Amino acid sequence: MSATTSTATTARVGRPTPRPEMVTFARLDLRRQLRDRFGMFFVVGLPTFMYLVFGLGSQEQVGSGNVAMYVMISMAAYGAVGATTSVAGSAATEQVMGWGRQLGLTPMRPLAFVVAKAAVAMSVAAVPIALIFAIGAATGARGDWTDWVLAGGLAWLGSALFAIYGLAICLTFRGTSAPGIASGMIVVLAFLGNVFTPMTGLMLEIGRLTPLYGYAALARYPLTEGWLPLGGRDPLWLPVANVLAWTMIFSLLALWGVRRSRART
Amino acid sequence: MTPPADGPAIRATGLRKSFRSTDGTTVHAVDDVDLTVRSGEIVAFLGPNGAGKTTTVDMLLGLTRPDAGTVEVYGLEPGAAVRAGRVSAVMQSGGLLNDFTVGETVRAIAALHGRTDRVEVVLDRARLSPLAGRRVEACSGGEQQRLKFALALVPDPDLVILDEPTTGMDVGSRQDFWQATRADAALGRTIVFATHYLAEADEFAERTVLMNHGRIVHDAATTDVRAAYGGRTVTFRPPAYAVDPSGIDPTWLARAQRALEPLGVSDLEVSAASLEAAFLALTTTPDVSSPELEGALR
Repeated sequence: MSATTSTATTARVGRPTPRPEMVTFARLDLRRQLRDRFGMFFVVGLPTFMYLVFGLGSQEQVGSGNVAMYVMISMAAYGAVGATTSVAGSAATEQVMGWGRQLGLTPMRPLAFVVAKAAVAMSVAAVPIALIFAIGAATGARGDWTDWVLAGGLAWLGSALFAIYGLAICLTFRGTSAPGIASGMIVVLAFLGNVFTPMTGLMLEIGRLTPLYGYAALARYPLTEGWLPLGGRDPLWLPVANVLAWTMIFSLLALWGVRRSRART
Repeated sequence: MTPPADGPAIRATGLRKSFRSTDGTTVHAVDDVDLTVRSGEIVAFLGPNGAGKTTTVDMLLGLTRPDAGTVEVYGLEPGAAVRAGRVSAVMQSGGLLNDFTVGETVRAIAALHGRTDRVEVVLDRARLSPLAGRRVEACSGGEQQRLKFALALVPDPDLVILDEPTTGMDVGSRQDFWQATRADAALGRTIVFATHYLAEADEFAERTVLMNHGRIVHDAATTDVRAAYGGRTVTFRPPAYAVDPSGIDPTWLARAQRALEPLGVSDLEVSAASLEAAFLALTTTPDVSSPELEGALR
């Protein structure tokens, strides 16, 4: 060891106890996510575009606000869900594709990783909500101030459910295409969940059972108090039960996926 | 803190690990492996695919728990040695994020080690400083492996384990990679690398551990391995009548062996007449009826 250079020696002698700098790590990871133009198009670009097409200037009354407000909340929720789905989904895929082994060679604990990723996912989810609410406020979306705060908060917090969804799907369909599958299914679920176009009849009955329905209905509840755009009213327990049930289902699926991926090694 | 000369870098005894394969049979990936690596040594783990090299490496790093046996790295349990930054590794190809740049990848891993002060040093050591702003997906295979080498150097470890680091690289990238590694090893780091390129062991390692079917079949100074099994190969062409399409006539081979015995030649066998001879001699069962047309005598 006599050949060891002075830098190496001082590093060894005074080796600091390694303490992971999770904030630095999360910041680098967040920047990587926000830089992904393709991903951010679906998270920010598409929902903003749809608000402009369907919501802009629609002044008809809905609940305590107008249609523009209704569409704005729906699209912000859709964007937030896209964000948590893709961040959590790609995190799961990166883990099983080899980056996880790289991280396994650092002093970081798995729980710290989950917390960092959750922080990144929720930060990205806040982007479409903030942006679309800002555009909405500037272009005639109207509602009580409590509607704005509650809807924004519910859309943001509720999007966490779809982080579990993203994990579950990507642990089930392993491989690099899994995050794409998870995000693609969100589009279908958004249609079924009454997020894009108001539904009636049998489609509405089926839609009530799908995972985006409860979340979006809950985010709009402060505005609509459950009234549906094409007639009828959902009692509060319905979207709540929907969210709770799907939280259970996705959690069990994710747990099963984690077990299965552990068994392979 | 602890000087690296305070005992062996690796002490493993009686390591075993089995897996259940997809058809339900049990595969003994590692079967009773004992291994001691002293500080400052450069050791090659040589063996064909499926010899148990990667599984052994995983157990040395605490990524896989052995079914039986014990591993200590600098006297610590492997996971603790990894967390203390005393050991790190370059894994097989893959395991990087394409949409990070080279510099961001190093910064991210350095942050997790709590060693952001090491970013510039390791980029320089792996000769990646000019590429720091390049995205990982735009890097060649060789550059990506050098990046993983840089990541391994972040905690300034006493021991670096490299698992087939040059698989799939062209000759030029392989040389670049080993040049960077060699320069670093000169600073006194202990290096253990798994490879299936005999030439890499030959050129780079002082000691070679040969593995096959989950066992260590030979463990000696690399020069001894070469001398004993590949260094002095006498090649001759058997007469045409002794060769038929299925290989060399075994009775002729037996006669040749008997004729050579008084000259002190033992272990006559047929094998590929190349540097790979040592490798083959140790990792395959000699098969006299194999269809080589040349006999190798050692």
